[in-house]
Amino acid sequence: MTPMTAETPAIEIVNLVRRYGRTEAVNGLSLRVEPGRCYGFFGRNGAGKTTTIKCLLNLLKPTRGSVRVFGRDPARHEVEVKSRLAYVPDQVAFYPWMTVAQTLEYFASFRDRWNRDTERLLVDRFQLPLDRRTSHLSKGQRTELALVTAIAAEPDLLVLDEPTSGLDPIVRREFIRTVIGAYQEGAPGRRTVFVSTHLIAEFEGLIDEFTIIDHGREVLTLDADTARARYQKIYARFASPPASLAVEGAQIVHRQGRELQFLVSGDAGAVKARIAAHSPETIEAEALTLEEIFVSTLQAPEVRA
Amino acid sequence: MVFELNYKSGKPVYLQVVDQVKAAVASGAARPGDPLPSIRPLAEDLRVNRNTIAKAYGELESQGVIETVVGKGCFVTDQASPLRKDARTRLLTAEVDAAVVQAHHLQIARAEFLRLAEERFESFAKRRARASQG
Repeated sequence: MTPMTAETPAIEIVNLVRRYGRTEAVNGLSLRVEPGRCYGFFGRNGAGKTTTIKCLLNLLKPTRGSVRVFGRDPARHEVEVKSRLAYVPDQVAFYPWMTVAQTLEYFASFRDRWNRDTERLLVDRFQLPLDRRTSHLSKGQRTELALVTAIAAEPDLLVLDEPTSGLDPIVRREFIRTVIGAYQEGAPGRRTVFVSTHLIAEFEGLIDEFTIIDHGREVLTLDADTARARYQKIYARFASPPASLAVEGAQIVHRQGRELQFLVSGDAGAVKARIAAHSPETIEAEALTLEEIFVSTLQAPEVRA
Repeated sequence: MVFELNYKSGKPVYLQVVDQVKAAVASGAARPGDPLPSIRPLAEDLRVNRNTIAKAYGELESQGVIETVVGKGCFVTDQASPLRKDARTRLLTAEVDAAVVQAHHLQIARAEFLRLAEERFESFAKRRARASQG
């Protein structure tokens, strides 16, 4: 979908700085999430993802810069902002003495909107035991319960912070299916997802656009399709091993005898033509997945002999 | 219709869905009147954004490959393209150009390329014939 730029962004962060003592957890971050998009927020552990999310939720105050959710300052319009978003954190905490059913009631009581059908459907799908205390749930079940409380509220913005880390593959798969199906179903053009994760491969198909953050700063922001078209690996085999081969816009990342592997982060088509001009025997290009783009962006490739 | 996405192809995800539907129609795997999977289950199955499938179906509809029947879903049309012949030729020319460029870089000579094109037409004709028998 083409983002409608005239619309108020779901999230707008401008030059956000957040310090803990002398440490700058977030250091001049800017990003903008259009409504209806699924936005990936990728970074290593400690890159500043959770700090940024806590500023969105008014759990932390920015040291400098501004954060807007639906055009509102979460610190000044906390109730309004929180009524339109739902948050699933990495470590989910519920009142341990409450049962699953009581927890659902408790969460529903804070919400103007609460879809009982969605709640029942998801409780069934996840086979959550309604009369069990939350202290006796597994980590997977706790995350699933958090997802039910988030989706039944039908928020305009779903904020997921490392939602699938520590879960088994089946639970992860169901988690993502639920975000795609149950969450997006209601009003697909308006349901915005902001997901921070380092398990990027699982979310590959869901992500429209992403920002990679490192040391509290933005490293790369791109549309996912554009990123895969731009970042490519090119394999070329030559009749005789070229002593040195400098190709503009490409980096040699691997060399084995007559075979060279290039990494391209610009116009892959033009670079391929430039390599082809050196008359290789074979030449093949392959797009990088979002996870590979993440790794190659944060780690300067070394030439391995 | 079985879809398979390849994130390493560098092709936009919605276009992969578009091309696979078109290939299924060209090979007879999907015939006029056949329904397409609904957006939500397909998106869940492929684990892609719902909007990606919606965009693909929108594109297929604007190209006249499928039509939406309100309340019933999307169906393969009988392939009377709404585009005029010269517009269709222009669209195909761009695709053929890309293949010619690719052939050059893969050192596939002209005669070999034309032989391959012949062979692919044959292959699709056979698949269509098999599909209409089955």
